[in-house]
Amino acid sequence: MKRKLGLSDIYSVAIYGIKARKGRSIMTSIGIGIGIAAIVAVIGISSSGKADLIATLESLGTNLIKASPTSGFFGTQDDLPKGVLGMVERIGPVEEVTATTQTDLLVRRSKFISELEGGGISVIVTTSELLDVVGGSLVEGRFIEAGLSNLPVVTLGSVTAKRLGISNLDVATKILINNEWFGVIGILEKLSIHPDLDRSAFIGYGVAKELFDIDSEPSTIYLRANPTYVEEVVDVLAPTMNPENPDQVEVSRPSDALEAQQAAEAAFTSLLLGLGSVALLVGGVAIANVMVMSVLERRMEIGVRRSIGATRSEIRNQFLLESILLAGLGGLVGVLLGAGITIGYTRYASITFSIPVWQVFGAIILALVIGALAGLYPAIRASKVQPAEAIRS
Amino acid sequence: MNNSNTVISLSNVSKIYEGPPPVKAINGVSIKIDEGELVAIVGESGSGKTTLLNIVGLLDNVSKGQVYIDGEDTTELSDDELSKLRGEKIGFIFQTFFLLPGLTAQENVAEGLLYQGVDRKTRLLQASKILKQVGLGNRLDHLPKELSGGQQQRVAIARALVQNPSYILADEPTGNLDKESGLNILKILKDLNAKGKTVIMITHNRDHAKLFDRIITLTDGKVSV
Repeated sequence: MKRKLGLSDIYSVAIYGIKARKGRSIMTSIGIGIGIAAIVAVIGISSSGKADLIATLESLGTNLIKASPTSGFFGTQDDLPKGVLGMVERIGPVEEVTATTQTDLLVRRSKFISELEGGGISVIVTTSELLDVVGGSLVEGRFIEAGLSNLPVVTLGSVTAKRLGISNLDVATKILINNEWFGVIGILEKLSIHPDLDRSAFIGYGVAKELFDIDSEPSTIYLRANPTYVEEVVDVLAPTMNPENPDQVEVSRPSDALEAQQAAEAAFTSLLLGLGSVALLVGGVAIANVMVMSVLERRMEIGVRRSIGATRSEIRNQFLLESILLAGLGGLVGVLLGAGITIGYTRYASITFSIPVWQVFGAIILALVIGALAGLYPAIRASKVQPAEAIRS
Repeated sequence: MNNSNTVISLSNVSKIYEGPPPVKAINGVSIKIDEGELVAIVGESGSGKTTLLNIVGLLDNVSKGQVYIDGEDTTELSDDELSKLRGEKIGFIFQTFFLLPGLTAQENVAEGLLYQGVDRKTRLLQASKILKQVGLGNRLDHLPKELSGGQQQRVAIARALVQNPSYILADEPTGNLDKESGLNILKILKDLNAKGKTVIMITHNRDHAKLFDRIITLTDGKVSV
């Protein structure tokens, strides 16, 4: 005669215990549910954010370097020494370099706007290479290309275009720079790591010299170095640009800021994961508690099952599986809840939704393991209940 | 008396509950019960009835002596083997029915075959057959709380019968029932016996015991007369 209980039979016996006390079962799994939801949401949100951050880093490259004079005592910027571009170009691993010159020219939409209301937008004089070096792209139109340097034309940063109320170039549009009209020939996409460039308008060196008498000494230079030697280039850049006073040159890598942000988020993620684990632990203890109570309450059931032929291991498996199912139920709800929170957050923050599959499986398996651990002691207790005592109660 | 027909045989059985102080609940009892007997075990409370029930039901081990079920010595059997033997050979009926409250009458009865490796479909089919035999064919889907005490006890009898046991062991089966329901249960037990089933009932009610063919009286852990 076949003696072993089939899997479906053990399952139906275990599910009986859960169904017979629905309210309590739900409350018991809530703890695990919250823990798993927290963990899934934390991993989901951080992995969604990370996907965007990594995409930005990749498009940006980590070999972009920015050098500018340090701020003076009163916040004014010193100039870079003359001929600095040539010096930088001679550093071996430098692949591309471009200069920009900060101006204090005033940008207005028309003459009807007072000169006092035009602030917040800076005019930057630059060359055609800038777009490539900072990895920017155009929403529409063109950048200040080589042949356009002498013409009164301007390309707008994304924020500048918005401030001036220019969303497209369907109609020929002009803006005022100081008191000269410039034709708008292009609008840039948002440059995520150069907010200063987003708030700028770009004109060529030729026209700047002709109309405003601005000479071509750069105030900030951007360069791309061979990725293998980025650190080395950073080290020699300041002494190269200003051998007398290297401390008057500020060298930065925009990708550093992003990497720091990533590191900070990782630390925060670990903290939240820690909290989630505590919730899981508490959830596990709650299950263990309820199962111990359940064993005491259900002595009659244990007695009856033993008298109709259940062995100790069959009783133990019943309670163990019941505990695992309780935790699994909580885990399942937790995964759904966590994924829901992640979807909600990614919509709200408009970042790409990304949730690793291993994480979903991992969370459910974690819940099951916790259920098994929590159920082990109560299940063993149940299996040790003497049938003779159980039926007397 | 033919030995091959002996279902239960207790040989000089004693049960001592370890103290302090040690209590000798059963003291040198020898009983033989043959196939097809209708036996009542009676005695005052404290006379050792429950202990005897546990021993005959293989729910407890003995301190001394031998217990044979269908000729097999059970004293050396492991816990798992005893469980198996209970499931196959003994049909239990308890004073307070002991039905699982979350299961229907049919499922409760089917549970009697669960640990014998019978598949669910067959279990439920057998359960409905037996429930019809005890007059509850129209109550298959009722939960225990939807049944009267007498009906619940009939479900419990059905659960014991569905295993097709060698003997039925009833512990005060009428103790929680009104007089009429109690007599009805006794009638069912007598009918089962008439069809050849061995029935052993433990009771303190001597009037009920008188309806049975053989009465074993326990006094202070010993069989008297």
